[in-house]
Amino acid sequence: MNAALQYTWAQAFADLSQIAAIATLTGFFLFAIVVDLVLPKRRRGGAVAIVAVTGFAYSLGTAVYRWLYGQGGLAYHKFASGDSFALFFEILFACLGILTVALSHSYLKKRGLLEGEFHILIMAAVIGMMVLASATSLVTVFLGLELLSISLYIVCGYVRTDSRSQEAGAKYLLVGGFASAFVLYGMALIYGGAGTTVIPDIATKLGDSASSNPLILLGIVLMGVGFAFKVSAAPFHMWTPDVYQGAPIPVTAFMSVGTKAAAFAMIVRVFAGGLPHLAPEWQILLAFVAATSMVVGNVMAIAQTSLKRLLAYSGIAQAGYILIGVIAGGDAGLAAVNYYLFIYMFMNFGAFAVITLLAGPEGDRDKFSDLEGLGRRNPVLGVLMTVFMLSLAGFPPTVGFFGKLFLFTAGVSAGYTWLVVLAVLMSVVSVFYYIRVLIPIWSPSSRTDEVPSSLTTRLVVTLSGVASILLGIYPTTLLLVGQLAANPNPGP
Amino acid sequence: MLTVIWVLPLVGAALIAFMPPRLAKFWGVTVAVVTLLISIGMAYVFDPNAHSFQLTETEPWIPQLNIAYRLGVDGISLWLVVLNALLTVVAVLATPLSTRHVNRFIALILGMSAGLAGLFMATDLVLFYVFWEAMLIPAYFLLWIFGEGDRPGRAALKFVLYTLAGSLLMLVGVIGEYVFTGQKSFDLAVLATMPPSPSIQFGLFFVFALAFAIKTPLFPFHSWLPDAYMAAPTSMLVLFAGVMGKAGAYGFLRIAVPLFPNPAYWWDWRWVMPVLAVAAIIWGALMAIAQRDMKLLVAYSSVSHLGFIVLGIFSYNVQGQQGAVLQMVNHGIIVPALFLIVAWISDRAGTRDRSAMAGLATRMPVMAGIFFLVTMAALGLPGLNSFVGEFMTLFGAWQRAPVLAVFGAIGLVLAPVYMLRLFQGVMQGPPAGPEPKSDIYAGQLLLVAPLVVLMFAIGLDPNFLTSLISVVGQPGLAK
Repeated sequence: MNAALQYTWAQAFADLSQIAAIATLTGFFLFAIVVDLVLPKRRRGGAVAIVAVTGFAYSLGTAVYRWLYGQGGLAYHKFASGDSFALFFEILFACLGILTVALSHSYLKKRGLLEGEFHILIMAAVIGMMVLASATSLVTVFLGLELLSISLYIVCGYVRTDSRSQEAGAKYLLVGGFASAFVLYGMALIYGGAGTTVIPDIATKLGDSASSNPLILLGIVLMGVGFAFKVSAAPFHMWTPDVYQGAPIPVTAFMSVGTKAAAFAMIVRVFAGGLPHLAPEWQILLAFVAATSMVVGNVMAIAQTSLKRLLAYSGIAQAGYILIGVIAGGDAGLAAVNYYLFIYMFMNFGAFAVITLLAGPEGDRDKFSDLEGLGRRNPVLGVLMTVFMLSLAGFPPTVGFFGKLFLFTAGVSAGYTWLVVLAVLMSVVSVFYYIRVLIPIWSPSSRTDEVPSSLTTRLVVTLSGVASILLGIYPTTLLLVGQLAANPNPGP
Repeated sequence: MLTVIWVLPLVGAALIAFMPPRLAKFWGVTVAVVTLLISIGMAYVFDPNAHSFQLTETEPWIPQLNIAYRLGVDGISLWLVVLNALLTVVAVLATPLSTRHVNRFIALILGMSAGLAGLFMATDLVLFYVFWEAMLIPAYFLLWIFGEGDRPGRAALKFVLYTLAGSLLMLVGVIGEYVFTGQKSFDLAVLATMPPSPSIQFGLFFVFALAFAIKTPLFPFHSWLPDAYMAAPTSMLVLFAGVMGKAGAYGFLRIAVPLFPNPAYWWDWRWVMPVLAVAAIIWGALMAIAQRDMKLLVAYSSVSHLGFIVLGIFSYNVQGQQGAVLQMVNHGIIVPALFLIVAWISDRAGTRDRSAMAGLATRMPVMAGIFFLVTMAALGLPGLNSFVGEFMTLFGAWQRAPVLAVFGAIGLVLAPVYMLRLFQGVMQGPPAGPEPKSDIYAGQLLLVAPLVVLMFAIGLDPNFLTSLISVVGQPGLAK
């Protein structure tokens, strides 16, 4: 029998332990489906939520355990890996999953939506994200991408009675399918050039001469376009504001952080890990995308009147900042990217969580006027929203500043001073619209109605707010973790 | 010890923000006074013979980038820290209890004071930057929520965006120092020993100087100042004009001068800056002459006075730079007193238009006396504090290039014009205009008394300041 096809039980266990976090979550995912089927209708929602949170917590624990005792390398014939890069993102996505379930629990009840399916779909999306992070083959990358995207298409259009939600789902499906096709075609061309889909092998098989092969270059461009769609970077950002606005807020919050982080994990894995010899080529491509994103995102955000759209454009701009770290590359650059993605979870998710609290049974309230008097109606929420906005704008001592400091330091060190100067100038623009959000919060207002309250959502907001400040005052540990996870090339 | 000086007001601010408003002022004053006492204690234990940063505190903060929590004071920052603590007490005391949300107001004042104290004590470039930007947050909220005038929000936003445009570019400079000096360090004392090549200095100097020039503000970048000062409530102005106005000048002295000894490539920045300073001196004075609004007049006079400070800093000699530090302290004493008095007068007269009133001296003699003293100090009468500082800066400028001093001295000529016109127009002559409600209150008199005493003390014996100013922590500064 062919030696390569032999697969022993020991091997199977070793491989499974490499992807333990994903496997655990998948187990809970299946269990959640069964729970949703067998329990009586009125008990389903809460039970599934509990199963989902437990699943995420177990997955988080597994990932942390593997991080501490036994980080691995390639598994499943080099199709996946359990290296520190994958584990870092698995930890991130598990945290995000917990936050999302906590955020959506009360929201779904308030709007009278079915809870069980929603959590199950979120779990599926998180599994997709984790697969993306641990994928070391183009095939697995695509598998994760589709699992993630298809789940999100459904939850975007989850509010079946709301035409805007429907529109968001349809739009995301069409544009996302388009992006997937681009990625797939690019992958096919790379496979044609390298003769393998395994990312570490691509790196060794494509030598320096590959930069003269037009098919490989076309493959990079096509994948770059697809990835830019997924991180919502300009000029491939058109879907973002509409989808963010139409989708239910918890979904928007989840997407804005999760999809972005997953797509960045994919970019780093494929470009920095698989095509290091072609770095000058894709760096130019990404530098162009980063510059356009920062300009388009920040300038367009000024004119928005909907908070969701504003945060969508701000997300486009932030994608531009993060790309600086990817372009700079190396230990410092990728550590900065990891750090930023992790803190972005807290500051952006926190901001969305505050808007979630404002939502009413009839729909989302995300106009500027809905924030009126928040500082008076609920001072804690007012202060926290202020922290999130200042953090997104990059004011010290919040985390946003340190994230930018690390990204920009990496950028200047790598010689991309012009990109950093552009980023800095655009940050000045961004302060304008982030501060605009604060104006209704703290202006004198006659509104005194209570802010709708919910324990879990409040917990999410407070946790995000505390993290946004503490991780800023003491960024060392998280940056160290990001640094340890900064190698997209897993060992054997 | 140094950590306490900035953490104490910050903790106080956090507690006071959630206190009932009637207790806020008492606790605010307590916190401010304790901070002042600690600051004075710091000045007392300061060793005038050791030429380095003193009372240093160093903790690793972000070791990956060699960023450390480094605090220290030298002869330059020492006096600014004390001044900041003193003016915080004055500002909190000057806050009227009738202010809406007085607890939040005092909390924000203390927060701003904490940021300024940290800024003056930071000896790590990143820490400096953190304080530099962090203090914008309370300043913005103070201007916007508690501001006067029609649209304080606009003035506040203009102030923040102006300042940020400079300071975010400065962030590139901070990173550039780390990368291009090859030092991989943010320690100000280390960076000053290893300047990069002149062409890189040229670029880095530009981004730093731009940030500081906007903050100071220097001549072409001053257009945020009238709006912001007009919008600022009086008790905030004490700190805003008195201390935050010095932050930019301090940045020049702490960073721009020692870190970039030779910023010459296409042209030499060392000649551009003093020319801008002279322009600020003359422009500010001319604008002050043209104002009818008393608050605006003082604001423009401040632009002129800050020009002297920057002129002294860029004279690159010991007289000029010592004079600049002295003048920072002097201006920090005079301007709050002027703003307070002007606010009290207009409060009683019901208008800030100086041409709408006359002959107030007969009706408020004590106020007139105090106002006279402060006016004399502001226009640089020998024997009062401002004279020594302005003389030293001009003397330094003369040594660098006589032409700078000649044009700078025009400011000295113009200062009596606008100050005396203000004083005479308002106080002297036959009584006209609205009847003032009362003379100065005893409490208000007590509030300005320490400032007036300091004007005399520094004017008569400036040596007790200058003897310590020569203790500088970095190479690259004249001593």
